Amino acid sequence: MMMKKALFTLALATAFSAAHAADGNAAAGKEKSTTCAACHGPDGNSPSPDFPKLAGQEQDYLAAALHQYKTGKRKNPIMAGFAANLSEQDIADLTAYFSSQRGLFLKY
Amino acid sequence: MAKLCLVTGVILLTAAAVAQAAGDPAAGAKKVFQCQGCHGIPGYRTAFPDLYSVPKLGGQHPNYIVQALQEYKKGERSHSTMRGIAANLSDEDMADVAAYYGGAANSSGGNAK
Repeated sequence: MMMKKALFTLALATAFSAAHAADGNAAAGKEKSTTCAACHGPDGNSPSPDFPKLAGQEQDYLAAALHQYKTGKRKNPIMAGFAANLSEQDIADLTAYFSSQRGLFLKY
Repeated sequence: MAKLCLVTGVILLTAAAVAQAAGDPAAGAKKVFQCQGCHGIPGYRTAFPDLYSVPKLGGQHPNYIVQALQEYKKGERSHSTMRGIAANLSDEDMADVAAYYGGAANSSGGNAK
C-alpha cells in the first residue's frame, strides 16, 4: 500500500515536471533565439518565403519538430545542426518564445 | 535581334512559371476539405504514438507549404497521414492549397490568433 502510494506520487511528480519543462520561459527563449532569427525573423515572422514562420505556431508542434530534427526523423541539413546543440530547456524556452508571438493563425 | 527575342522569351517563361507557382487561393479554398479535418480544428492533436498539436497553416509562406507537401510526397518527411494525402496532390493542387492558407483570414473562417 505504502509502496503503491509512493509510486503514484512519483508518477505524479514526474508528470508535473515534464509539463513544467514543456512550458519553458519565453524571455529566456528570446535571449537564445538570435541564431534562429537569421532565417526565421526576430519574432518568428520569417521574411523569406523559403523559411517557415514560427510566430504563433503551436508550442508542442515546434518542440516535436526540433526533437525530430535532433533524432534525424525529420531531415534538414540546416536544422539538424542547430537542433543537435539544443538542450530540453533550450527547446522549451525557444518554443515558448516563438509560440507566444503574433503571426500564424488557425484558418478554416 | 534574335538574342533579344530569346531573352524576352526566357523572361516570359520565367514569369509564367512564377505565376503558376503562386497558385490560386480561390481554387485552393475548394481543395482544402481534406486538410480542414485536422488543420482547421482548434487544439487538434496528432494520433498515437507522437502526440502534438497539428501545426497552424494560416499565414504561413506558400513556398514553405509547397516545399513541405513535396517532401511528404517524396517520402522525405515521415508523417503517415500527410504522406498519404500529399501523394494524391498535383503540383497545381499544392500551389492552390498553399495560396489559400498563405492568404489572410477570410470571412468564411479563421481567426487572427
